[in-house]
Amino acid sequence: MSAWRQAGLNYINYSNIAAKMLRRALKPELRADALKRDESHVRITPWLNGRPAHLKAAGAK
Amino acid sequence: MAFRGVLRNVARRLQVRSYASDVAKGDDMALTFAAGNKVFYDKVVVKQVDVPSLSGAFGILPKHVPTLAVLRPGVVTVIENDGKTSKIFVSSGTVTVNDDSSVQVLAEEAHPLENLDRGAAQESLSKAQSEFNSAANEKAKAEAAIAVEVAEEILKAASG
Repeated sequence: MSAWRQAGLNYINYSNIAAKMLRRALKPELRADALKRDESHVRITPWLNGRPAHLKAAGAK
Repeated sequence: MAFRGVLRNVARRLQVRSYASDVAKGDDMALTFAAGNKVFYDKVVVKQVDVPSLSGAFGILPKHVPTLAVLRPGVVTVIENDGKTSKIFVSSGTVTVNDDSSVQVLAEEAHPLENLDRGAAQESLSKAQSEFNSAANEKAKAEAAIAVEVAEEILKAASG
């Protein structure tokens, strides 16, 4: 078993790190645009009684 | 002895096939190769595809046995029908070989080798190495180890 699996990581984690490293190794003119893909934003809206209860960005406590 | 050779040849030609080989398969291998950043091939018929996977690198020719594998960072080589070869670095992802010989390579991030910057790769390798050395826990160490592995692979590809 690979070391990262032993440490509790999965292939999605592995893939994210690999993609991030590849974006950092691009030629400067391509890098800026590529780095925008590093972050992804998800907005979660819980619904209560047929209407959105409150709005908050994922990751906010 | 020559006669026996002829016999064997005839036998081979007359051989009755069954099971898997009964399934009609085309000789064409249609490649779909896409990443989060770009679509490189969309059902383009190609000669051969070489992919690096976690269980080892392998080449795919038409009529390859159906396969699923996860990619490891490395160079995917596509040999097009006109003999032109293109080398694309993939970070990670999946490769699927189907019964009809179609192949899907789906990567999280993929770039042609000429888009890689050797200096930047060296720099990110050094950073990953120092992160590995200063990692506080097992998880951080494992993450840094992946980063080092990827950076080394990028550097190798960018230098080659």
